[in-house]
Amino acid sequence: MISILNNLPSGSVIEADICIIGAGAAGISQALALSGRGLKILLLESGFEFADDKTQHLYAGEVADEKLHSPPDKYRQRRFGGSTTIWGGRCMPFDPIDFEQRDYVPHSGWPLKYQDLAPYYQKANQLLEAGMYEYDADKVFDADAHAAIKGFKSDIVKTNNLERFSCPTNVGDRYKQRLLVAKDIDILLGANCTGIRLNQTGNHVDHLDIASLQGVKAMVRAKKIILATGGIETTRLLLNSNDVCKNGIGNEHDLVGRYYQCHIAGNLGKLTVKGPTNVVRHGYEISPEGIYCRRRFALTAETQKKIKAGNMVARLHFPKIVDPSHKIGVLSGLFLAKNFISYEYGKRLKDGNSSLGIYLKHFANIILDPIDTIKFLYHWITKRTLAKRKFPSVILNNKSNQFTFEIHGEQYPNPDSRITLINETDELGMRKVKVDWKYMPEDIESIRRSLKLFVQEINQSGLATFEFDDDKLEEDLTRFGAYGGHHIGTTRMGTNPETSVVDVNCKLHNVDNLYIASASVFPTSSQANPTLTIVAMSLRLADHIAQTLNAGKSSHSII
Amino acid sequence: MKVLILGATGHVGSRLHTHLQTTDISSIAASRGRMRSNVPNHVILDSMNLPELTKQLQNVDAVVNCVAGSKDSIGTGAQILTQAALAAGKPTIVHLSTMSVYGASEGIITEQSSFDPDYNWYAAAKCEAENHMQAYAQAGGKVIVFRPGCIHGPNSVQWVERIARLLEAFRLGDLGNAGDGWSNLVHVDDVVKAIHLGLEMPLGAGEIQHFNLAAPDSPRWNQYFIDLAQAIGATPVKRIHPQQLKLDSKAFSPAIKISQKILEKAGQKKLANQLPEPLPPSLVRLFKQHIFLDAQKISSQLSFMPYQESLTSSVEWLKHEHS
Repeated sequence: MISILNNLPSGSVIEADICIIGAGAAGISQALALSGRGLKILLLESGFEFADDKTQHLYAGEVADEKLHSPPDKYRQRRFGGSTTIWGGRCMPFDPIDFEQRDYVPHSGWPLKYQDLAPYYQKANQLLEAGMYEYDADKVFDADAHAAIKGFKSDIVKTNNLERFSCPTNVGDRYKQRLLVAKDIDILLGANCTGIRLNQTGNHVDHLDIASLQGVKAMVRAKKIILATGGIETTRLLLNSNDVCKNGIGNEHDLVGRYYQCHIAGNLGKLTVKGPTNVVRHGYEISPEGIYCRRRFALTAETQKKIKAGNMVARLHFPKIVDPSHKIGVLSGLFLAKNFISYEYGKRLKDGNSSLGIYLKHFANIILDPIDTIKFLYHWITKRTLAKRKFPSVILNNKSNQFTFEIHGEQYPNPDSRITLINETDELGMRKVKVDWKYMPEDIESIRRSLKLFVQEINQSGLATFEFDDDKLEEDLTRFGAYGGHHIGTTRMGTNPETSVVDVNCKLHNVDNLYIASASVFPTSSQANPTLTIVAMSLRLADHIAQTLNAGKSSHSII
Repeated sequence: MKVLILGATGHVGSRLHTHLQTTDISSIAASRGRMRSNVPNHVILDSMNLPELTKQLQNVDAVVNCVAGSKDSIGTGAQILTQAALAAGKPTIVHLSTMSVYGASEGIITEQSSFDPDYNWYAAAKCEAENHMQAYAQAGGKVIVFRPGCIHGPNSVQWVERIARLLEAFRLGDLGNAGDGWSNLVHVDDVVKAIHLGLEMPLGAGEIQHFNLAAPDSPRWNQYFIDLAQAIGATPVKRIHPQQLKLDSKAFSPAIKISQKILEKAGQKKLANQLPEPLPPSLVRLFKQHIFLDAQKISSQLSFMPYQESLTSSVEWLKHEHS
C-alpha cells in the first residue's frame, strides 16, 4: 500500500517491525527481500513518484571546492526510486582483493570477504536486470573473436574484466507493483526523517521523527531501523540527531562523515593499435540474454600487490570531446549540445572556457562529417532514447585505431576527506551538509604505477603502442573532480568501534537496532561503481535482520 | 481400481493414460473421436451424452475430468458428468480445473482464495464446472479438484511451443514490468503425478479437496522467456518495448486471428497454420499479473520437478519436435 504522510493526522504514531528510510536501490531491495517473512515493513520516502523540486532542494548544501565535487543536490534524487531514476546502469561486483586488508592502502580491509557477498551479488544482478552473474568476459564472449585487441595477451594486464549494464533500471518504477502486491509492506511518501531519537542511554532507537514539507509531523516506532538514504544523507541524519549523543549518533570517535571516497577518474593517454580497425572491439557487446557488456583492461590482483597500487580499470575511449582536433562530428555535436544535457551527464563536456573559435571548429566538424553524425543520431534515437534497455553510452566508429583510456580508479580512504554539517538549515530545520572531498598524492601515484605497466605490456605486445603524459597525470585525473554519484565510506564498517561506525552486519556499534544500507559502510571504494554492491549488501542485511527477528526465510522468493 | 479418463486425447489426459499403464490402476481413455495412434483401453464417448456417460461410469471406481474446449463443454460438460456420476453410483471424480478460476487476483493465492468468474469466459466456465463439483460432493460424492498453473513440458503447445515461436520472432523476450508476473509453471508429469495421488487419496463420502498445482520455484515470466530463448538459440534476447507489445496484441494479433479464421473457413487450414502466432491481449495480461499460486497444501505429498529440470524437459521435446 502506498500512502502520503500529508494525508495522515499530525501526531500519528506508526508502528512496524522494520522501518526502512529511503526508497532507492538499497531501500527497495531491502523491502523486497524482507517481504514474505511475516514481518511488518514500513518504507519511508521523502519524495514522491515524480520529481519534486521542493523535496529535491532538501538535498542542497555546500561544497568546499566546486572544481573537485559537484553540489550535494546533484547526482542524488530524493524521490521514489532514489538515484536509480537517473543512474547510468553500470554494474560490476567488487573484486576479492577489494575486501582484503592491504598494507599499502591505509585503512583498507573489510570485515567480510567476497565469498560472503557472492550469493547476494547474484540476486542483486537479477534485481538490477544485468543478466547472468558472470563477470569474466572470456566466459561470456569468445576470447579471440571478441578480444579487446586481437592477439593481445599479458600476464599483468588482463582484458577479461567485464562490465554489464542495467537497463538502467529505475527500481521505483520497476518494482512498484511487487511492493504493492506485498501485503506486508507499507510505503509512506512525502515522509522526511527529521530525527533518530535514541533512548536516554543512547543504545537503542526509541522512535523516528518524520515530517512532511506541508507541516504534518508523525512518529515511527519500529524494532529495527535501516537507514537507506545514500552516503551523504545517512551521514547527515546521524550527525543531525544529536539530542542524546552530542556529536551525533555513532560518532563517539569522530568518524561519521570522514573517509569520504568517490572514484578517481579521467580520460587520458594515447593508444594506437596496429593493423586494420577490425582488430579492436572498443564498443559494447550484447550477451545472449540481451545485456550490453564491455571489456575493461585491469591489472591482476597479484600485480596490484606487487607494485602496491590500488584497484583500477581502464576502458577504450574516444578522444577528448572538448578538443575539436578530433574532427569527429558526433563528438562536436555532443560538445555543442552540452547545455541541453542534464548536469550529471553533461559535466564532463564542460572543460574550462571555450572560445568562439573552438565552437566554430566544432561546428565545422559536424558539417564535414554529416553521414556519421546522421548514422549516430539514428542509432542513438532508436537504441537509447526510445529503447527500454538503453545503449549505455556514446560509442563511435573506429576509423583510426586511436583511442584514449578512460580510467576509473579506487580512491584511498582519507580521514580528511569528509562531510560535515553547516549551521544553515533546510526547510525542515535540518542542518545542511558541507562536502569537502579531498584526494591524496597516493591516489595519483597509484594510478601512475599502474599505467606504467600498461605502457610496458601494451608496447611489448607489438600489437599497439600506449603513452600518457606523466606531467599532466594529476590534471587529467582531477580535471572534473570526484567521479559523481559515488558516495562511499562515511560510516565505515569494521570490527573495532574506535575505527569504524558499523559492524560486519551494518549495525551501529553502540545502538542495538540501527542499521545502514548504503555505500557509506564500504571501508574502501574498489574500481567498481557501487550500485550493485549496495544492493548485494542490502540483501545480505535483509537476511541478517530477518534472522535477528526469528523471521526465517521467505515462503516464496519475491525477488 | 478402474478409472475413466475424459478428454484423453488432450495434453494431460493422454499423458495420464500412458502413465497409468505402468501402475496397478486400470484406465480407460475416453475421447469423442479416434485417437491419433493406437492406444490401449480406448473408448469413443461423447461426454455430453448423459446416458452413454452414465453407462461408462457404472463400470469404474473413479473418473478423471480433463475435458477442455468451449464454454459449454467445460461448464455444461461438468454438470452432465456429475449427473451421470450420481446416477452411476457416485464414483470419485478427479476434476482438472485451472488457476484461471482466481481471475485477476494478485498476491499469494491459496485454495481458499476467492473466485473471479467475471474475469473472462474461460474463468466463468471453469468456475461453473467447480460449482457442479461442489454440488456433487454435497450430494455425497467424493471429489478432488486440481487447479494447475500453466502446464508445460513435452507436448505443451501453449506454454512451450507457442512461447518458443514468439521468442524466435523476437515478439517476446524480456518484457520488463510487463513480464513480471509469476509464471506458475507446472510440469505435465507433476500434474499426472498429482492426479494419480488424487485417485488414491482416501476420501469420505461428501468430501471435496482442492489443490493448487504450481512448482514452488517457478520463475517470473521474464525469467522463463530469457531461459527458454537461450535454450533454443533465440538470442540475444530482446527487451520488448511496452508499445510493441501493445501494438502486437491489439492490432497485429487480431489481424492474424481474423486471417486464420477466414482461411480455415475457406478450407485453407494448411495456409492458416503458416500464419504467425497470435499474441492475444489475455496472454499479455497474464504475463504482468502478480499471481503466485501457492501449492503448499499438496507439497507434503508431491515433490515438484525442479524448474531447471522441467525447462530441460520442455526444450528437449521442442528440439525433438523440430528435428
